[in-house]
Amino acid sequence: MSPDLPPLIQMRGITKRFGGVTALEDVDLELNAGEVLAIVGDNGAGKSTLIKILTGVLRPTEGTIALSGQPLVMNSHSDAIEHGIDAVYQTLALADHLTPAANMFLGSELTKKFLGLEILDNRRMREEAERTLQERLGVTLRSMEVSTDSLSGGQRQAIAIARAVYHSGLKVLVMDEPTAALGPRETARTLKLIEAVREQGLGVIVISHSLDDVFAISDRIQIMRRGRRADVVNTRDSDTTSVLGIMVGAPAGQAQTDGASAHE
Amino acid sequence: MSEQTSDLTKGLSRREKLDRYLSLLGPMVMIAALLIFMALLEPARYFRVSNFDIILKDAALYMPMAMAMTLVITTRGIDLSIGSVAALTAIIMGYMVKSYGFPWWAGVSIAISLGALCGLINGLIITRLRVPDLIGTVAMDLVYRGLALVLAKGVVLSRFPEEIVAIGRGAIPGFLPVPVVIGLSTLVLGYFIYTRTRLGRYAIAIGSNPEAAELTGVPVNRYKVYVYVLMGAMAGLAGVMLAGKLNAIQATSAPFFNLHVIAAVVVGGTSLFGGRGSIIGSLAGVLLLAMMLNALVTLRIEFFWQSVASGVVIISSVAFYTWMQQKDRDGQGSFKEALMSPENRRLGKFLLFLTLIIGSLFLLGWMFAGETTAVR
Ligand SMILES: Nc1ncnc2c1ncn2[C@@H]1O[C@H](COP(=O)(O)OP(=O)(O)O)[C@@H](O)[C@H]1O
Ligand SMILES: [Mg+2]
Repeated sequence: MSPDLPPLIQMRGITKRFGGVTALEDVDLELNAGEVLAIVGDNGAGKSTLIKILTGVLRPTEGTIALSGQPLVMNSHSDAIEHGIDAVYQTLALADHLTPAANMFLGSELTKKFLGLEILDNRRMREEAERTLQERLGVTLRSMEVSTDSLSGGQRQAIAIARAVYHSGLKVLVMDEPTAALGPRETARTLKLIEAVREQGLGVIVISHSLDDVFAISDRIQIMRRGRRADVVNTRDSDTTSVLGIMVGAPAGQAQTDGASAHE
Repeated sequence: MSEQTSDLTKGLSRREKLDRYLSLLGPMVMIAALLIFMALLEPARYFRVSNFDIILKDAALYMPMAMAMTLVITTRGIDLSIGSVAALTAIIMGYMVKSYGFPWWAGVSIAISLGALCGLINGLIITRLRVPDLIGTVAMDLVYRGLALVLAKGVVLSRFPEEIVAIGRGAIPGFLPVPVVIGLSTLVLGYFIYTRTRLGRYAIAIGSNPEAAELTGVPVNRYKVYVYVLMGAMAGLAGVMLAGKLNAIQATSAPFFNLHVIAAVVVGGTSLFGGRGSIIGSLAGVLLLAMMLNALVTLRIEFFWQSVASGVVIISSVAFYTWMQQKDRDGQGSFKEALMSPENRRLGKFLLFLTLIIGSLFLLGWMFAGETTAVR
């Protein structure tokens, strides 16, 4: 983090109101290239709303977003993708009956000409998918011809991530609760995938309820509380107890007995 | 899914390899069973070259519709209007060529295009007006059939130009009949669409997970409409083929198209729950259906049993494939145990109760029966 280089993403003074409900109030967020920023907070703290604004799904009521110092106005999710900001949805948005390659290229298929017609280039999609999974995420499937529903949770996650990182302009990858539905083994695999994406110099934002995962993977932790940014800490200089404390707004010592999920 | 089969099936479990061929295996086993059955009962009349010619021509009539219906059902959709679309388009074609002297090719093209238009209307009703496919196409079935009746009244249009008759039942010397060539071509086209085009890919994605398709930028509604347009066009083509085959058409023609085509498609392994379909399975399903219907005729069973048979085929194949798809079947305990569950006992008692009521009603009716009037 050199001080004279602008951060990859800088959100300033973001406020979002839904009618009478203020979901976010004056929130800042910085993300650097090659780092994992975790966002934590209670249910309803505004985490999802914040990243929906970053990925162009929602427009902020107030506030600005800058990408590498350049102001950024987005009107849709596809605007965000065009600027290199993509998200992996919690549901992963995979069609179970399709092959991994078909899923990875769903909506942006590779094609070739055949008798003047534009037809799917299944072979190239399969090869590209296999290569992307292997080289960028270190994942090898037992076969590329299986249907996606026969894969493990971590492998499915890998396909969803591969879909995002395949696009060469990707700079920021956002993941909302990537490990929420996974067992310990698959969680470990997913954390490895996030690690791999970070190592390629991308900025990664991960929302998670599991502080174990957050401490295992993140470089910094942004703590949200009731629509505001309560604090940002360096993961290395912090611990579960103090993050929980900030999350629930209690003095550090009491956090463990209060418990995070019981609040609100 | 073709090139280098050995490479593509590498790494698949035995179950997955079996699943791949299930859609073909299912109908094949049933065809074999039917052949054995007929060999025992009516070998002389069933196993004749002329009879297989009849079976092939019957099957050919269903091939274009089965191809398109495979795509429709893959998207989790259904089209219950195809019989009426076929009748309506064939009647309009009939009037054009007979009353207005249109050349045969104009009449045929008009029928197929009008079929496509009917499909487009179905698709718009489902996607724009958000009427569920089942209700929407049943209602449009009434509309199209009604229009056919309004146009043709009770008239039977017959004696078509020889080209149209050739489409329905013509023979190519030393080769397959014309309708079979047409039918098989549509299936080849369907296989190509299914595996090599966006239309096929998106049909699977939409049927498999509509939300995911939407999120990844698939124009879901537009592609749904395309699938219904294809379905309508193929129903129009089937109308032409039927008119040619019978050399006659009337407003009430093709009453069982929906039932027969859906039976053929689901028996061929296409899932009514969407995302999973097989064009080759549909070909096998169409052949099975044509052989079955023909067997009923050969056995001199009344025509109306056709409808019963198709219904039974639909139910049993959907039930079978659903059972095959169940992942944790072995966790269910013994079959007897499952059958005698408290829930089933209760339903069993209910069934018994209903049977007793009906039985005693008949008994009462019989006891108090008076003079009879013959049922005509
Ligand atoms: N579309 C919406 N309409 C109205 N209120 C919303 C909407 N989306 C979120 N909110 C409200 O904004 C607040 C923050 O929600 P959210 O960002 O989903 O929190 P989190 O993801 O941290 O659980 C909540 O109070 C929620 O009810
Ligand atoms: Mg949330």
